[in-house]
Amino acid sequence: MELLRPSSLDELERLDEAGDTLLLAGGTEVVPLLREGLVRPGTLVDVAGLVPRGVEGTRIGAGATLAELEVDPQVPEALREACRLAASPQLRNMGTVAGNLLQATRCWYWRLGYPCRLRGGERCHARDGEHREHAILANGFCASAHPSDVAAALVALGATLRTTRRELPVRDLYRVPTESDLRTTVLEPGEVALELDVPPADASTYLKAMDRKRFAFALVGVAAVRRGGETTVALAGVAPVPWLLDGSLDEATPLPGNAYKLELARALVARARAAVA
Amino acid sequence: MARLIRTEKEVEGRREDVWVVVEEDALEQWPAGPRSVVGRPAARADGLARARGEARYTADVRFPGMLHAAVLRSPHARARVRRIELAPALEAPGVRGAIGPGDAPELSPECEHEGAAVAAVCADTPAQARAALALVEVEWEVLEPLLDPELAVERGSLLEQPRRRDRGDLERGLAEADAVVEATYRTQVVLHNSMETHQTVCRWEGDVLEVYTSTQYVWGVREEVAEALGLPPDKVRVVCEYMGGGFGSKNAAGDYTFVAAELARRTGRPVRCALTRREEHVAAGNRNATTQRLVAGARSDGTLTALSGEFVNAVGASGWVSMTEGPMLMLYACPNVRTTLLGAKLNLPPAKAFRAPGFVEGTFGLECLLDELAAKLELDPLELRLRNYAEADPGGGRPFSGKELAECYRRARKHWDRRHEVRARSTATVKRGVGLASQVWFGAGGPPSYAWIRVGSDARATVVTAMQDVGTGTKTTLAMVAAEELGIPVEHVTVAAGDSLRGPYATLSAGSSTTPSVAPAVRAAAADARRQIVDLARQRYGEDVQDFDLAELLGVLGNAQILGTGSRGPNPAGMTALTFGVQVAEVAVDVETGEVTVERIAAVHDVGRVINPLGASSQVEGGIVQGIGHTLSEQRLADPETGTILTRSFDAYRMPTIADVPEIVTELVDVPDAQLTNLGSKGIGEPPIIPVAAAIANAIRDATGADVRSLPITREEMLRALAEAREKGRARGAPAAV
Repeated sequence: MELLRPSSLDELERLDEAGDTLLLAGGTEVVPLLREGLVRPGTLVDVAGLVPRGVEGTRIGAGATLAELEVDPQVPEALREACRLAASPQLRNMGTVAGNLLQATRCWYWRLGYPCRLRGGERCHARDGEHREHAILANGFCASAHPSDVAAALVALGATLRTTRRELPVRDLYRVPTESDLRTTVLEPGEVALELDVPPADASTYLKAMDRKRFAFALVGVAAVRRGGETTVALAGVAPVPWLLDGSLDEATPLPGNAYKLELARALVARARAAVA
Repeated sequence: MARLIRTEKEVEGRREDVWVVVEEDALEQWPAGPRSVVGRPAARADGLARARGEARYTADVRFPGMLHAAVLRSPHARARVRRIELAPALEAPGVRGAIGPGDAPELSPECEHEGAAVAAVCADTPAQARAALALVEVEWEVLEPLLDPELAVERGSLLEQPRRRDRGDLERGLAEADAVVEATYRTQVVLHNSMETHQTVCRWEGDVLEVYTSTQYVWGVREEVAEALGLPPDKVRVVCEYMGGGFGSKNAAGDYTFVAAELARRTGRPVRCALTRREEHVAAGNRNATTQRLVAGARSDGTLTALSGEFVNAVGASGWVSMTEGPMLMLYACPNVRTTLLGAKLNLPPAKAFRAPGFVEGTFGLECLLDELAAKLELDPLELRLRNYAEADPGGGRPFSGKELAECYRRARKHWDRRHEVRARSTATVKRGVGLASQVWFGAGGPPSYAWIRVGSDARATVVTAMQDVGTGTKTTLAMVAAEELGIPVEHVTVAAGDSLRGPYATLSAGSSTTPSVAPAVRAAAADARRQIVDLARQRYGEDVQDFDLAELLGVLGNAQILGTGSRGPNPAGMTALTFGVQVAEVAVDVETGEVTVERIAAVHDVGRVINPLGASSQVEGGIVQGIGHTLSEQRLADPETGTILTRSFDAYRMPTIADVPEIVTELVDVPDAQLTNLGSKGIGEPPIIPVAAAIANAIRDATGADVRSLPITREEMLRALAEAREKGRARGAPAAV
């Protein structure tokens, strides 16, 4: 495996035509995936020096670390709190906001290399097996749960992502995997996340239920954002993608071992709505 | 004068009669209370070395030319190796050796659980060794695994005969009861997760095999390795200088030791075999799951008339059936008790002893059941326990050598009395409550253990014993005892431990037995040295030497060094020696989200004389933190179909973090056990973890009215119990409609 550190985005574009590359920034997700053999790229491209960092008004560099965002007063409360409740201080010092958006599921079957549907296999092992942490929405094909607190906050905030190729709402970055297309994001090979635009809100919050007080992925995370009389809610940990709650939780299809998540989600959604009202 | 005695030896509930050599132990115990050194808080002698990274753990042992081994483990819960080809691995870069089934103890073609060791390779680097493992060709015959303990019981797949204990007449006891409660409790599989993974470095020096290993039993590894390799025991030297924790999982040599020894023999090079954290989560042992069907009956005044339990330990493919019924048999003065214990043999990784094995699980069941009984009788849970206080060993009436549990209850009362104020701080959605639980455990230690001490005219002393300090601070404890006896500062005592070549036999560090087994031997050795020095001084100064401190007499030694020897005497005959305690937990439960927050735990324990109060309170804190993990967040999960382990990393297996740790208040009764050794001290390693789960669960019931009967008390278990309580109309404060 080769590690490349291009000196400009143009150079990066040219590299990517070779294919079989994986981008590396904070490394908190990519390095464990490499170590477990879950990704085996020919080339690792270090983009830490290329993607913008820092916060300017509503704009957040894709390379900003979670640790930077959690203390920045320009950042809406929901996003700050989502960062603060994510991972551990050490990981937040290294992990970038874009990397957080693009992290893979924590589904233990997927992480252990089971030949599951998300890998093109026949079965979702979680559906028949241990799935207390898994999805209760859009879980018919694959019951993996999306782990990103930050993504739920950004979806609720109506944030936009600018990449090397386009701009798109963060909510459209994600897609529920299907048999014909296993991807969970719409990013194309070689496309690099550059910047987020996070419009201000009148009030916002992020609530998170986990198995211990800190340093665990969300069983359920709920972001609520109010602008004027309108409140937007998005959830982490309940579906294979960050879940914009535009309908009702009644459409949830919990599995035998994770029905508690629905109760938890209802309680947290009510609380989050009340907190921003 | 050495003599041979026959005495009862007990380790974690396993008793046997043994003959041991002891020396005369005519020393009077010191008076109770702090002495000049003993009984006063002392920082760890090696604390700075540990904090600075200077302490050499097995993980730090590096020899020139050392190779790194990696173990091929079964990916299947039950499978047979039909064919195995090591040659492709041997051709891989850096690889120096490979062994397969039958080449070393514990490498087997018959795999009864995931993680069973099959083969191993060694290479110049750990990465090369791991890469080469992937090249070993194995043809597996995958067999249907047995994973369900109930099914195992049904099919008679048991590790030993069912263990039944009967006392009195259970049926009569139940007939005499005014109230009977029945409940089923379940506990989960948890992992030890020592900071230092299981590992060994083996090096042949001529015909001597040196084994550097992270172990709780230097002498046991020596014996096991010598026997397995057909070597005389004195040709095996076992060294464990610093140790990064074991909690019961490092009592035996382990496959990694045999792999390192065999590969070192074949390659002529030192070989290191260390489990990765992923392997540690599969193949390093665990606390087994249990199911406990319990019944308690009592008169309306709370006097217990009957206790019964059907216990199933889901032990795994092999292993010891720990005493889950122990607390029910030992804690209360109930005349009619019947217990049945089954050890289910399953195709799951074997259990190993884990900090008070059996008693942690059994106390959760028993002490929750007692609170359910108290609720039914409308009695105060503390009063119920006092009413059934055992003044003598309930299993046969033997007197206790010492028992200060009544004093523990007395001191716990002020913490228990906080419950009214704690409950009053509840809100509409967050309910607070207080719960307590008692604890009984072994921890008296026993013979044999030996120590030597060397004293010079510079008033410095070296204690020599081939005991291992498993991270609990035993070396500091021993230095304190020697310093106290010799009348010199503790800083002037060095403890040389952890090397079978350079010291006498000392106990297995299990069953909270290290301090109560080894420290009396150290005191005896120090007293022996003192006697010799006084005798020498008398020859020069006459009879009035008795009036001087030892340090003032040492000048007579000149360049001579005095060697004192000591041994652990027997435990008091005809008596039961145990440890006791009670803990009071305060919790807050969010009744909408099922979040449980432990806000405070007060721990009051009786372990006889406390030698180092600082070390002891650290043990209490560590036990409580580990207990909180067991109670609230830790669970090792296996796939129900294949039996492979799903929680192999720290993000999936959730140990508590500092954010989960409550205020911990420790009180130690600190009354020497007058009958036990020249110190009156018992062990504190295990007692503190025992009552944690029940105290928390009882506090949850106090706060919410909900009965949690399964560990861990995750969100789903808490929400389930709250819903059940609402159905029964017992909930305190219904949750807001959502």
